[in-house]
Amino acid sequence: MKSRKTFVLSGIIILVIVTIFYSLAKSEKQVDYSLDVKPIFNKKCISCHGGVKKQSGFSLLFQDEAMARAKSGKFAIIPGDPDGSELMRRITCTDPDERMPYKKEPLTSDEISTLRAWIKQGAKWGNHWAYLPVKKMEVPDVSNEWVRNDIDKFIYSKLDEMKLKPSPVADKATLLRRVSLDLTGVPASQQVASRFINGKDFEKDYQLLIDSLLASKRFGERWASTWLDVARYADTKGYEADFYRNIWQYRDWVINAFNQDKPYDTFITEQIAGDLLPNPTDEQFIATAFQRNSPTNDEGGTNNEEFRTAAVLDRVNTTWSGLMSTTFACVQCHSHPYDPFKHDEFYKFMAYFNNTRDEDIPNDFPLFRSYDDALKTRISTLNTWLTVNYPQRVKPIMLFLKTGQPAINSPTADDFENAYTINNNGYLVMQKNGIARLARVDMEHADELIFTCNSGVKGGILQIVDSKRNGAIIATCKLPQTPRGDTTLSIKFRPQQGVKDVYLVYHNPSLKDKENGVRLNWFYFTQQFPGKGTAGYALYQKIYWDAITSRPQTTPVMVENPASMSRKSYVFERGAWTSHGKEVQPGVPQSLAYAMPAHAPQNRLGLAMWLTSKKNPLVSRTMVNRLWEQLFGTGIVETLEDMGTQGTAPTHRELLDYLSYQFMNDYKWSVKKLLREYVTSATYMQDSKINDKVKEKDPYNLYYARGPRIRLSAEQVRDQALAASGIINYKMFGKAVMPWQPAGIWSSPYNGAKWETSNYGDAYRRAIYTYWKRTAPYPSMITFDGTPRIVCTARRIRTNTPLQALVTLNDSVYVDLARHFATRMEQEGGTSATSQIKKGYELLMYKPIAPNKLQALANLYSQALKEYTMQPNAAAKLMATDTNVRPQKAALVIVANAMLNLDEIITKN
Amino acid sequence: MTRDELNAYKLAKEAHEAELRNTTRRHFLKESAFGLGALAMGTMLGSCGNLFKSNKNSVVYDPARPLLAKPPQFPGKAKSVIYIHMAGAPSQLELFDYKPELMKMDGQDCPPSLLKGKKFAFITGVPKMLGGQASFAQHGESRTWVSDNLPHFSTMVDEVSLLKAVYTDQFNHAPAQLLVHTGSPRLGRPSIGSWVTYGLGSENQNLPGFVVLTSGGNFPDAGKSVWGSGFLPSVYQGVQCRSEGDPVLFIKDPDGMSRDLRKKSIDAINAVNKAEYEEYHDQETLSRISQYEMAYRMQISAPEVMNINDEPQYIHDMYGTQPGKACFANNALLARKLVEKGVRYVQLFDWGWDDHGDQPSNAVDIGLKNKCRSTDKPVTALLLDLKQRGLLEETLVVWGGEFGRTPMMENRNGHQNPYKGRDHHTEAFTIWMAGGGIKKGVSYGETDEIGYSAISGKVSAFDVQATILNQLGFNHEEFTYMSQGRPFRLTDVSGKVINDIIA
Repeated sequence: MKSRKTFVLSGIIILVIVTIFYSLAKSEKQVDYSLDVKPIFNKKCISCHGGVKKQSGFSLLFQDEAMARAKSGKFAIIPGDPDGSELMRRITCTDPDERMPYKKEPLTSDEISTLRAWIKQGAKWGNHWAYLPVKKMEVPDVSNEWVRNDIDKFIYSKLDEMKLKPSPVADKATLLRRVSLDLTGVPASQQVASRFINGKDFEKDYQLLIDSLLASKRFGERWASTWLDVARYADTKGYEADFYRNIWQYRDWVINAFNQDKPYDTFITEQIAGDLLPNPTDEQFIATAFQRNSPTNDEGGTNNEEFRTAAVLDRVNTTWSGLMSTTFACVQCHSHPYDPFKHDEFYKFMAYFNNTRDEDIPNDFPLFRSYDDALKTRISTLNTWLTVNYPQRVKPIMLFLKTGQPAINSPTADDFENAYTINNNGYLVMQKNGIARLARVDMEHADELIFTCNSGVKGGILQIVDSKRNGAIIATCKLPQTPRGDTTLSIKFRPQQGVKDVYLVYHNPSLKDKENGVRLNWFYFTQQFPGKGTAGYALYQKIYWDAITSRPQTTPVMVENPASMSRKSYVFERGAWTSHGKEVQPGVPQSLAYAMPAHAPQNRLGLAMWLTSKKNPLVSRTMVNRLWEQLFGTGIVETLEDMGTQGTAPTHRELLDYLSYQFMNDYKWSVKKLLREYVTSATYMQDSKINDKVKEKDPYNLYYARGPRIRLSAEQVRDQALAASGIINYKMFGKAVMPWQPAGIWSSPYNGAKWETSNYGDAYRRAIYTYWKRTAPYPSMITFDGTPRIVCTARRIRTNTPLQALVTLNDSVYVDLARHFATRMEQEGGTSATSQIKKGYELLMYKPIAPNKLQALANLYSQALKEYTMQPNAAAKLMATDTNVRPQKAALVIVANAMLNLDEIITKN
Repeated sequence: MTRDELNAYKLAKEAHEAELRNTTRRHFLKESAFGLGALAMGTMLGSCGNLFKSNKNSVVYDPARPLLAKPPQFPGKAKSVIYIHMAGAPSQLELFDYKPELMKMDGQDCPPSLLKGKKFAFITGVPKMLGGQASFAQHGESRTWVSDNLPHFSTMVDEVSLLKAVYTDQFNHAPAQLLVHTGSPRLGRPSIGSWVTYGLGSENQNLPGFVVLTSGGNFPDAGKSVWGSGFLPSVYQGVQCRSEGDPVLFIKDPDGMSRDLRKKSIDAINAVNKAEYEEYHDQETLSRISQYEMAYRMQISAPEVMNINDEPQYIHDMYGTQPGKACFANNALLARKLVEKGVRYVQLFDWGWDDHGDQPSNAVDIGLKNKCRSTDKPVTALLLDLKQRGLLEETLVVWGGEFGRTPMMENRNGHQNPYKGRDHHTEAFTIWMAGGGIKKGVSYGETDEIGYSAISGKVSAFDVQATILNQLGFNHEEFTYMSQGRPFRLTDVSGKVINDIIA
């Protein structure tokens, strides 16, 4: 007994010693604010003491707030003095009225000791890693057979910590298919494939393969698909009637940008501020359509300013979520609950986007005018002539020819008599004796009005009247009948001065009372074309007028307001656009202002400079992470939309920083170089088989002991089937196309547009060219987790549902493709069904089919053959023909249909 | 056991293991295991049956069975919802809100007090007042006022609670419909049906959990966004079932392919997939195998449930169906069939209720009467039919539009419209609810004597949403989903359960 007691006692003593030792050791450990303290605050404290609520005047969001005196007069945190800190008393006391978190579970003893140690060590504040600049990282010192490049050293050292071993390189066929689908979204061509498969020098052949995939035109199409989710690119406007928006030139710009490997910093700059670059090119204007993809609302009776504001908010959120993995939308209504952004900083940032000419009007102005080559050439001679003779007129004239700006949109007219704007938000309509006002027009030096009207009647007269309804008449102009619809006209008058109201007065004696006479679209007050009476005037004035009156392809773009039209920006109290708080100027959040270059202007161009500054901590990391997610299935930070303190922690933070630094510095923002680094890593090239040990330790492949294996994207599912069937049409660019879709998908009210299946060739184009209607997207694409592209989608969440199976089994598109695929199998696969099936499998997988798989498909073939031999009618139906069908062909179509449904086919392995 | 059986057993066992593992999948754990969301989900999933007992975070989102039935946060009275939305916004003044004082003002200029500081979609200047264009009477034991536009419905008033003082802040169709169905007037949030199927799954794995049926010739103004899944996984979006073409998109086997051959084809696909699984051991492959089996079963169940031809004649008569056509009556009957089969949320949209009076088809004394004629009987039949089957107690039926109509006659662009019509109105309209634990024969809330503003019992779209969730067993403040770094709720930062209409 005694000995047992002693034993127990000594056990206790040892335990006590160990505990003391352990706590001592622990207290000596340096506590890290971001890693150890901030997560506790976020989880337990910040919902009451943060950006949304500041109970008792105390907040833990910003250092100055946390260290300040609370309402009680006490300091919650006194650095170095945990016992004097009110925070420590409140989390440890026993009185339920005092103990924090109030009426919730108390903090664990571990959490309490962490906070105590942190305060004792001086309560050093820290910043979340993602808000600190990217630093050059040391590459772990790893060298072994498996490692191919620096990525692998980071991956290997982590695997080593986890006591996991990486996998060997995947077989050639698997690798070929993986890298082709990843880089180009379609299987590699037969020629490229056989060169790689039959090559003798693996290392060299793989490099050649990567070269040819990166150089392929298909590359840009595949990566544009990803970017267009971020850019919420669609072919319609969004609300109610959801009308068509002609903005496909932006999609083509993105494809070209990826194909040309436009450096990512330039890529961003042109999209955010292309119009503000010195002498912007046509392409740089088109790039700014990025921010014109916001939904707009043409519904009758809507307030244009309300939805213009909504579009501006959308631009802010897209910039943060898409380019900087930050959930800035929270800050619209209050300071960010977790991250270092204050309420008014949202509106400072919004002020960058608040001064463009777009006003949520039905015709989507401003529109960039893409002239045909002949006009383009003539305009460039005009440009030269102006530059030589009237240099100060070059800018305004070229801006007007390219964008029609700065014009006044007719829906902004007011003070009506016998006039109205259609549905309160559309064109201005004048009736007999109509009067309307254009408020605060910049008339300084103006001696001409260029405007667009549309009238079904003769005899109309438009007067421009100075300052009041019965003011002096500045000019009078006859309005013709306009059989071609909107027609551009000019009225000249004596030069005016200053900013003033202008009244438009319409007379037409042939009209009855309240009868509509004319519809007006826009008004451009300007100086007359220069050089009247000089040589060249007639020639160049004609070019000018020809350009104005031509009807070129157009694209909505960003154009900044001139000073006389500029809007003020305000904080919206609690996020409501109608409650203006204090006025704000453009600016970035204080916590990230360090990345703003010193000479940056306070406009979108300055914003672009801040985004692409190497000091900006988020932009490079976000793109590196996005590209990684596309190849590996999960980002290094899984939440692509949020790298902030509420996002998931990076699995390989050092690697993320290493790559982000490389991307900006060594690769000079080259996406192709970065992708090459990814796909030539051993990490990427691994086999994807899962062994038991890995399954246990890393079921979701977060540490990369095996290669990626993920279901194809909606676009890849379609494009692969098109390519395998040999029917794919690789025509690039242009207006969206309409491959077959079931009847009745489109039914928007007040919109007569119909889905009209594109003719032969266009129905077989890549998914990226499919018409994307926001309120009724292409059904099979949505089923495979495509997005309606209404708001910026930073990441698609993959699902696995029976409705997906129904698409690839039964959608007429896939049945049609199965027919083409079967034809190709017959043509290229020899005479026996077995050899044809083998061939089909090889076309898809680049490798021979395993015997048991062949057996299953060959069985299906015989069963189908039996059925179609007995029922020739069914065979004809399957082939959608009235003529006789060989039962063998029909049976092969059934097999082809099954093959396009195989897990391994709709998966990238 | 034969070798095949052994293999089958092994596969089944692995599939089960995969399911268990999937429940802890990182993707959805992260989304749901934070903050408030975690609390809500924790409670919700705590009592989740034996299969998942070992894991307290289970069945948040199981990719193999995303629609598996799950218990709510607390026992709810309703198991399913039928939401009837009259898109365009019917006039409360011709249906439920009896205003003799307004009749007296008919044709007079609208007093300035009703116009000052107000915004309307189309009214400009000074419109005339327009008295109710229907006669009203009290019906049932509850003495509920209903107009002669709804002779059938008036026989059922003792089954429903009318909310007569609903208000909104959106006076355009698309934003107002989005607010009603997604809790936000802007595009991009999940619809209430998506929330409900996300939270409760569905009772029938062979049918979609959230079904949408439209009639009236157009989609609602906000398009498919009103049944979209927003930031929830896309599996929770509403599946549109159609009375023309395939009842569910792509549900029909290709022409010339027999059911039997389809079965053989799915068997072959799954045999290859099993071989693939044995090589790569990817759990996702097992999920795919079960999705294909489910797809096959859905191909049988969906057309069956969507076929109304087998219903007895008296049922057809009761609803006034028009077999083979796309019409509201057929959809009402389908709604009953769907909830009977365990579908969780059925959303009906009927388009054409936007009674501005710019043409006869949308005049409150012509077009509106026609719309009532085509919907009154089927709506009533639906309530009766659910009741006679004992389904009304567990099925919550909601009827309403997206806003109300003005007591003034619309004068678009300053002129009187050619027919009698009313503009969009935010301050008062009527929604009714029935079944699913809602009080019977109640009129809740009141508007002023001309039906312009709510004066008592005001409720918002958020309150209606909170009440629907409450009846299903969810506290709307704790039913959240982590997105963009914060927990989102259907009701955003608003919403109060309307306790006065709960039985």
